Amino acid sequence: MNANLNLLIGLAMGLNLLALGTSRLPALIRAMSAQGVILGVIPVLLGHDLDWRVALIALATLAGKGVVIPSLLRRAMRTAQIDRELDPLIGFVPSLLLGAGGAIAALALVPLLPLLPEHANTLLVPGALATVLTGFILLIGRTKAISQVCGYLILENGIYLFGLLLIKAMPLLVEAGVLLDLTVGVFIIGIIVDRIQRAFDSLDTRKLTALRE
Amino acid sequence: MTGPLLVLAVLLFGTAVVVGQHWPRPWLVLTLAACLASIGAALSVFAAAVGWEWKSHILLGGESLHLRLDGVSALFMVLAAVVGGAGAVYSCEYWSDRHYPESAPRGRSWWSALVLSMVLVLIVSNGLHFLMAWEAFAICGYFLITLENQKPAVRSAGWLYLASSHAGTVCLFGFFTLLAVKTGTWDLGPLREHASLSPLFWLALAGFGMKAGIFPLHIWLPSAHANAPSHVSAILSAVAIKMGVYGIVRFSGWLPMPASAGWVVIGLGATSALLGVAFTLAQNDFKRLLAYCSVENIGIILVGLGAALLARSHGDAPWGRLALAGALLHVWNHGAFKALLFFGAGSVLHATGTREMSRLGGLWRTMPWTAGLFALGSVAVTGLPPLNGFVSEWILYLGLFDAVTDKQAAAWAALPVIILLAMSGALALVAFTKAGSMIFLGAARTKPAAQAHECGLWMRAPMLLLASLCIVLGLAPIFVWPAISRAADAWSLTWAGQTAPAPLLTLGWVHLGLAALIIAAAALLWKKARSRPIRRAPTWDCGYAAPTAKMQYSSGSFANLATAWFFWILRPSRTWRRPHGSFPAEALLLDRVPETVLEQAVLPLAARIMQVSSAVRRLQHGRLSAYILYVVAGLAGLAVLVLLESAS
Repeated sequence: MNANLNLLIGLAMGLNLLALGTSRLPALIRAMSAQGVILGVIPVLLGHDLDWRVALIALATLAGKGVVIPSLLRRAMRTAQIDRELDPLIGFVPSLLLGAGGAIAALALVPLLPLLPEHANTLLVPGALATVLTGFILLIGRTKAISQVCGYLILENGIYLFGLLLIKAMPLLVEAGVLLDLTVGVFIIGIIVDRIQRAFDSLDTRKLTALRE
Repeated sequence: MTGPLLVLAVLLFGTAVVVGQHWPRPWLVLTLAACLASIGAALSVFAAAVGWEWKSHILLGGESLHLRLDGVSALFMVLAAVVGGAGAVYSCEYWSDRHYPESAPRGRSWWSALVLSMVLVLIVSNGLHFLMAWEAFAICGYFLITLENQKPAVRSAGWLYLASSHAGTVCLFGFFTLLAVKTGTWDLGPLREHASLSPLFWLALAGFGMKAGIFPLHIWLPSAHANAPSHVSAILSAVAIKMGVYGIVRFSGWLPMPASAGWVVIGLGATSALLGVAFTLAQNDFKRLLAYCSVENIGIILVGLGAALLARSHGDAPWGRLALAGALLHVWNHGAFKALLFFGAGSVLHATGTREMSRLGGLWRTMPWTAGLFALGSVAVTGLPPLNGFVSEWILYLGLFDAVTDKQAAAWAALPVIILLAMSGALALVAFTKAGSMIFLGAARTKPAAQAHECGLWMRAPMLLLASLCIVLGLAPIFVWPAISRAADAWSLTWAGQTAPAPLLTLGWVHLGLAALIIAAAALLWKKARSRPIRRAPTWDCGYAAPTAKMQYSSGSFANLATAWFFWILRPSRTWRRPHGSFPAEALLLDRVPETVLEQAVLPLAARIMQVSSAVRRLQHGRLSAYILYVVAGLAGLAVLVLLESAS
């Protein structure tokens, strides 16, 4: 069972690198949605009794992260008529190196953390750390609002992975609540993206600094 | 009796604040009545054996009201009420509706509010309420200083006052809060047995010292006194800075003292006295001169207090009581003559429109009353007999002499301090000779000075009142001794029940004799001068064909001999264009004495802080991604900290 889990998390970490290395927004959105699908499958695999609630959450995660949010983002992308991140603040190769370094550091860090024995030999914690870091790198290093939305979503995926550690203590409903918040957030960002596009004819968030005071 | 009088005073002051906006005469009556009621309350405390105290269950800001009026606070209340009343009368002519239609109503209301808030500072006995009253007092002072707020110099003086006042208040916030934390209550009172409270005295000294204008903390004082209207300068100098002294006296009496407190206070006092008088000498603006003279006098008061603290740590030696009595009497004396001098300065300013001594001269002809009263104030402030300044300084010297003959460790402080005080007294004499002669003697240097006019009765009456107080306190000091000794007893109970020192009685008689001699000599001179006609002729001008009135001693040249000793601290800047050739066209010599502490220490430091702050401000630029980077860096830093913690 652990082997399957580790395989999936390893896949998610690979998708992190893909998200960091690509300049094309459709590829970024694809990586993000694929990661969402993988994460949706994981709770089913964790070996609990497969009651209807878990199934429902898995289904909702799959639908939300895998279908609804990506399609929303694609539509925003089409409306704004951009499909490339042109001048990132952190270049693609440095981002890749940072992400890879972060993943290695996360793996090295795990033995230092006071974890439960059943979590110690899974990739859950390093995967979560690496994913959170990837989200942060995207947020810091990209200038287009859509890339930053993807960064937020990948960050959320990392937090979701952490949440799986607590799956026995924390009912999935809480996770569902997080997901709901996120969906609302994405809607709002979608609207903002639309407004930015109309007001400034660009999605470059660097042009928003005049609002700082 | 005390309670009802105080309530009456507070109510009258409160009404005066409202009335002052529209009706000048009823305002004057109300303010004077309130001042009389406050004086009555203070006198009833002096007459009673113990202080007045009142605790109620009325809550204000979550704390129950606790009022107290004992010897120490009553002493300061008399001062506040006398100067408050005199200034109110003075302002009727000096800052009248006719001359200042826009600011005069404001000035009246703030005046009553200022005196009221000072009375409240003196009677509240709860840390929280003290802070409230203190803040109200500081703000009233600010609005009075900036009455002429259309002038940039006045505004900047006001800001400086407000900023330094609040720097002091920050210390007081720390002081009262820590006091409340350590004692478990905001109530104030004698706490001498809590030995752990003693370090708090340093906070109180810094906070109250800022208001009192102790030497390195006096930065706000000269510009505020010079730019405020003269009646405001008078109450600032005579009463407001004494509130700082009140705070130091009050809490040095109530709290246990650190062992070094006496040494520090006496050292600060001697420094303030000497350097204050050095700056007094160097000023060309007569109101600034008076302001620096206040720094000197605060120094003298602190020397007395420091000696008392030293005496207390040396087993309550009796000379400490003498020094303290001298200091407390000097509080009254300085209040009387400094208010008189500022009123006189206001009268000159009113008549000529300039504060530059080098533009005045010869005013005694046109302003004989002001000249005479200013001269009387100068004699008092320089501590010459037979006026009041001499009495308090004499008692203080007696205490210090006794400390020297006591041959204890305190003698090592007392001996140099006596020398420093004597020096500063002599230099004060030079400074006031300069001021008096520049303003009133010689010939008028400019046209406004030649066209000056004497002030009216409303301005003269309060000056006459204060001058007569100076004379009475000088000739009959024995009459005020009960009040002073009551205050000294309230400060330290172990000294209670002692009689007046014998020298005081002798001094009174000597002063009376001296005064009689002076009057006789003056009458003789007057008679002699009247018996022969006065022959007037121009001064011999060394053969120069075209002398002008400007060819007289300037205030800078007069004091140069003495100020040269203090160049190391005064740091005057000199612009000099020497005359050249046989027929020189034009030459120039400009001397400027800076506010050394402010311009060479505080402002550079402030500029440095601003530099660092604006460098830090660059972190806030509005780029979202960098903000996220800050969050990540912060989190990573915390994680490293946690890991290091668990590793060790």
